[in-house]
Amino acid sequence: MKKRNTGFLALAFILSSSLVLGACGSNNNAGGAANGNTGSSPAPSADNSTGGNTGTEGSGEAVNLSFWTLFDGGDGDNMQKLVDEFNKSHPDIKVKNTKLVWAEYYTKLITAVGNGNGPDIGISHTSRLPDLINQGVVTDLDAVAGEAGVDWATFNQNLLDATVVDGKHYAVPIDTHPFIMYYNKKLLKEAGLLGDDGKPVLEQSADGLLAFLKTLKEKLPAKTTPFALSNSNDDPYRLWWALYSQLGGNDLVSDDLKKAEIDKAKGIQAAEYIQKLFTEGYIKKNDPDFYKNFQSGTAAIMMTGVWATGTWEATKGLEFGAMPIPKLFGQEATWGDSHTIILPLTKSEDPAKRKAALIFADYVAENGQIWAKAGHIPSKPSVLEKPEYKDMPYRSDYAAVAGTVKFNKPSTKNWQIRDNVSFKILNEVWANKMKPAEAMDKMEAGVQKELDK
Amino acid sequence: MKMKKWRADAQALLFLLPFLIVYGLFTIWPMFKGVEMTFYKWTLIRKMDFLGWDNYSKVLQDREVWEALGHSLIFVVLTTPTMLVLSISLALIANRKSVLQKFYRSIFFIPSVLSVAVASYLGLFVFQPYTGLVNSVLHLIHLLPGGTEIFWLTETRLAWIAITLITLWWTVGFNFILHLSAIQEIPDEIYEAARLDGAGDRQMFWRITLPYLAPITKTITMLQIIASFKVFMQIYIVTGGGPLDSTRPIIQLIYQTGFKSNDLGYAATMSYLLFVILLVLSALQYWMNNRKGAELS
Repeated sequence: MKKRNTGFLALAFILSSSLVLGACGSNNNAGGAANGNTGSSPAPSADNSTGGNTGTEGSGEAVNLSFWTLFDGGDGDNMQKLVDEFNKSHPDIKVKNTKLVWAEYYTKLITAVGNGNGPDIGISHTSRLPDLINQGVVTDLDAVAGEAGVDWATFNQNLLDATVVDGKHYAVPIDTHPFIMYYNKKLLKEAGLLGDDGKPVLEQSADGLLAFLKTLKEKLPAKTTPFALSNSNDDPYRLWWALYSQLGGNDLVSDDLKKAEIDKAKGIQAAEYIQKLFTEGYIKKNDPDFYKNFQSGTAAIMMTGVWATGTWEATKGLEFGAMPIPKLFGQEATWGDSHTIILPLTKSEDPAKRKAALIFADYVAENGQIWAKAGHIPSKPSVLEKPEYKDMPYRSDYAAVAGTVKFNKPSTKNWQIRDNVSFKILNEVWANKMKPAEAMDKMEAGVQKELDK
Repeated sequence: MKMKKWRADAQALLFLLPFLIVYGLFTIWPMFKGVEMTFYKWTLIRKMDFLGWDNYSKVLQDREVWEALGHSLIFVVLTTPTMLVLSISLALIANRKSVLQKFYRSIFFIPSVLSVAVASYLGLFVFQPYTGLVNSVLHLIHLLPGGTEIFWLTETRLAWIAITLITLWWTVGFNFILHLSAIQEIPDEIYEAARLDGAGDRQMFWRITLPYLAPITKTITMLQIIASFKVFMQIYIVTGGGPLDSTRPIIQLIYQTGFKSNDLGYAATMSYLLFVILLVLSALQYWMNNRKGAELS
């Protein structure tokens, strides 16, 4: 009897411990409603021209490149199309596209590169790049860019500058996906706020937007939401970032990236303004699905990333327009990030592969009109002039925003600060449970704690 | 004879070997590797600097850790007693002779076959404002005035209630089956004898059914406490640990520290803290059970 009991105890010991440890390994797919890349639209199957073909000299064996991406939905289809077109027009290079799940992408990339099994080409957000550089996951591109004939001057400088760390190029930006505004033309017309040019009658000022929303609320049926916006996490944070930057705020960290540095007066002003949008009932409280709200034609305006353009386009009966978010304060600015192509560290660091990879990266940027189908703004200004791009509706209405995107400073903690500090504390402000001034103090302490980790 | 026994053991070992290798490689070895990790700054990629006991002294002073442990404890306190009451009640209902007996058994057990993600997302839809089942029903029976909404998922107290209800609904099936089979094991003669002696239903429940269920209830309690301490997924999906981390359990913090903040060493230290707590709880429970067992016999 005694023996059995100890056996049982040992079993309990092992079971409980293995379960505890096992639980840490479970992964999750539970992202917010809008984690940045959920925009999906059925990819048009029409063939696109191959576009500018970057000449590849030399022949012989084809260079095989593995390429890891985090795109799904419309983005995934468009990237696959770019890869296919590239492989067709470059017989000596074969790119193989592996689609990974968004939520697990970075963890997989970092661990794979760490044990030497990383891909030849990868994708990174500009805001995540400093962390990847710091961990030794990505390599700098200055030498290989020259060999592959990449001309940095052909890129939008604002996007490009955000990918330069310590004077070195680490990534080839292929787009920017800023935070913009969409509006429902039918509802705006009903409220008498649609001009003859099909654009909203909206004064570009803090009071202007409030008056605009007030009219919408008064003129439209009670069931209609004047302003569809998430009540938590990404999108209200992006709006706050945009307004904070419009006021002249410059990120939450100091230039040397070591200290929390929030311009509190500006942060408070921006937060108070947004809080008012919630408390005065312009935004539906705890809206379970603000995308659906706009998509089903029950919300007059909405703000989110440009990736929604493709989704709205594919929605039958939705008459919408797109525009930069209004300039409410001193200077034009909005939240935004970029997808960039990176060359992860590999075991061999094969120069031929690296060169081929950069030729591919430049090709993707050069053929931004395909990538822009989902709504993204191409990273090369020359693409904006291509007829294929101009023929697509909506995109040109907001393409200029690329120049006013306020990127994060190159802190390695950008994502931790956003996820662990800004989202959580600002969520309390939106729920009217915390005063903006208190929130700024808490954010400063939180940012400092993340930087010290 | 001895030779035969040895051969039998060797044969058994041979059959066990495939499992043992996998189990050792993926469960036992990482447990020891984990101890090593607690002494280092260890990222997803590699071992960095030796820290000595730094992670341990940090974990003891880290408010976030103790708050998260507190939330896990709240979850244990909320779900364990309610689980026992619910499980026994359902077992009693399903044990009654009725045409619906089979129906009861199925519907009480069915939620358990769902995966945690499915159960949690269902719960999420049920508790959602505007369109969720709960608020709609409350509107329908006029308990909730039109135009107002209860925000189950963004108020800390309500969020705990929602999480508890979802968890109970999802996990009660297994415990219910255990209780039901235990009830069916109770010999009918005892009830007959009790009835002859003039005992009422209530007396029979308190004096016969419940004492007979004690052993299985103890086991369920222990399993339930351990399982509840490990809660992660349903909370992660339903509230994400919010509002403002007020429902974040310790496992979520461990996950975030390890895989989001890229600090596996510290995450491992927290894991071992939880491990020690669970170990102490298990030992305590074991010791209490044994003592009671000794008294009875």
